[in-house]
Amino acid sequence: MKRMKRFLKSPKTTVIAFGLAVILLLFSSIGGTRAALTYFSETYASRVQMSNIGVTLLEKSHNDKEFKAVSKRDYSDASNGTWSESTGALLEGMLDKKSGEELTIGKKYKEELKVQNTGDIKQYVRVSIYKYWVDGKAEEGKEAEKIPNLDPGLIELNLVNIAGQDGSGKWLLDEDASTKERTVLYYSDVLEAEGAQGDTTDPFTDTVKINNNIATKVTQTTTTKNGYTTIKTTYDYDGVGFCIEAKVDAVQDHNAEDAIWSAWGRRVTVENETLSLSTVQE
Amino acid sequence: MKKKQVFLAFLAAGLVLTSSVGSAWAYFTTYVEARGGEVISLGDETTITEEFSEWTKHIRITSDADSEPVYVRAKAFCNAYEFEYIDPSERKDKWTPGADGYYYYSDIVEGGGETTELLVHIKDVPTDEVDQKDFNVIVVYETTPVQYDENGDPIPAAEIDWNGKLDITRVEGGVE
Repeated sequence: MKRMKRFLKSPKTTVIAFGLAVILLLFSSIGGTRAALTYFSETYASRVQMSNIGVTLLEKSHNDKEFKAVSKRDYSDASNGTWSESTGALLEGMLDKKSGEELTIGKKYKEELKVQNTGDIKQYVRVSIYKYWVDGKAEEGKEAEKIPNLDPGLIELNLVNIAGQDGSGKWLLDEDASTKERTVLYYSDVLEAEGAQGDTTDPFTDTVKINNNIATKVTQTTTTKNGYTTIKTTYDYDGVGFCIEAKVDAVQDHNAEDAIWSAWGRRVTVENETLSLSTVQE
Repeated sequence: MKKKQVFLAFLAAGLVLTSSVGSAWAYFTTYVEARGGEVISLGDETTITEEFSEWTKHIRITSDADSEPVYVRAKAFCNAYEFEYIDPSERKDKWTPGADGYYYYSDIVEGGGETTELLVHIKDVPTDEVDQKDFNVIVVYETTPVQYDENGDPIPAAEIDWNGKLDITRVEGGVE
């Protein structure tokens, strides 16, 4: 017993005990590190399969034979969570520029637009279309200035497959959010993931035309020089450009009613994967 | 002291729990946009050429090179003598009389193009110098931009509404 007490009181024993404590502490942290690595690896694998959302705007213009992707924005977890995106221009195929074709006022040009789900999850989509006039003499590379006093109603973009117009349309017109310049459409069906049947909407436009009435809008400037009065008439729409802008929003199908309310600020009802617009806004 | 500790413990627990609320409200969304358009070209500049010989006025209307296509009509006035219109074209089908007294040019006058001649011939002019009177032959002409149907085909000249109303904004340019 005395030996035991002497051994415990010895400075050597204290040093050995301290050394053992340090070794135990080091080993315990190695175990923790291993556990952490295993845990993160499993979580990462799970996330890859669930979160890829993507949407693409497709266009078939007057001189196009097939639909082509104009703009796309896809999330890719496989590429370290980056967005694969590209933004193109509409109406590039409207005129045959090689032959020097010029815009003919009053002519209907084919302009079909639709939306494709290019992600891994189902989604609901809406489209906002804007029509307006811009300064046609803007320098290249600079954004043309909008001309708000010219009538966007003279840019006739014909909508198709609208619910209630031909009986079978799947595009819902949000009249509360639409104006002469802006049209807001919701697609009632859920879009399946890319590659599956039902991953693309029906077209929401088919033609575009500039109304002949633009030639009746004129400004007459009266000047008097040396007693003679001169009246000069100029066309209000000469040298201006018409612009069509389409913006597509997509949202996940899970918990779609709340997701749409949160992301777009619009109350909708979803029953059996079919979306309808709620009439009462909160 | 004990109450304060309990309050702080609940506050800490609340902060830990609500830190997960943010992720619950996040939804998967994405968007794309595109725009495009073309520039409108309107407007035309035309001039009339008149030559007078053998009691006949030779009228021709010319369009500037950068003008848009137009339709043309013309009418003559003479205060002293009777006159007649003559279409010298081979088939006599370029200038057609309308019920309103105007002569309508049947073809589209493209930018840089011109009409064929329209002759205004003064009739029964006295040869005796004593009986001759001073007179003017005034020619008025008008143009209107060519309009197109939905297929891009020009609307024929006969179907153009020459009396359509313009939506005019009037501006005073001042006195020089």
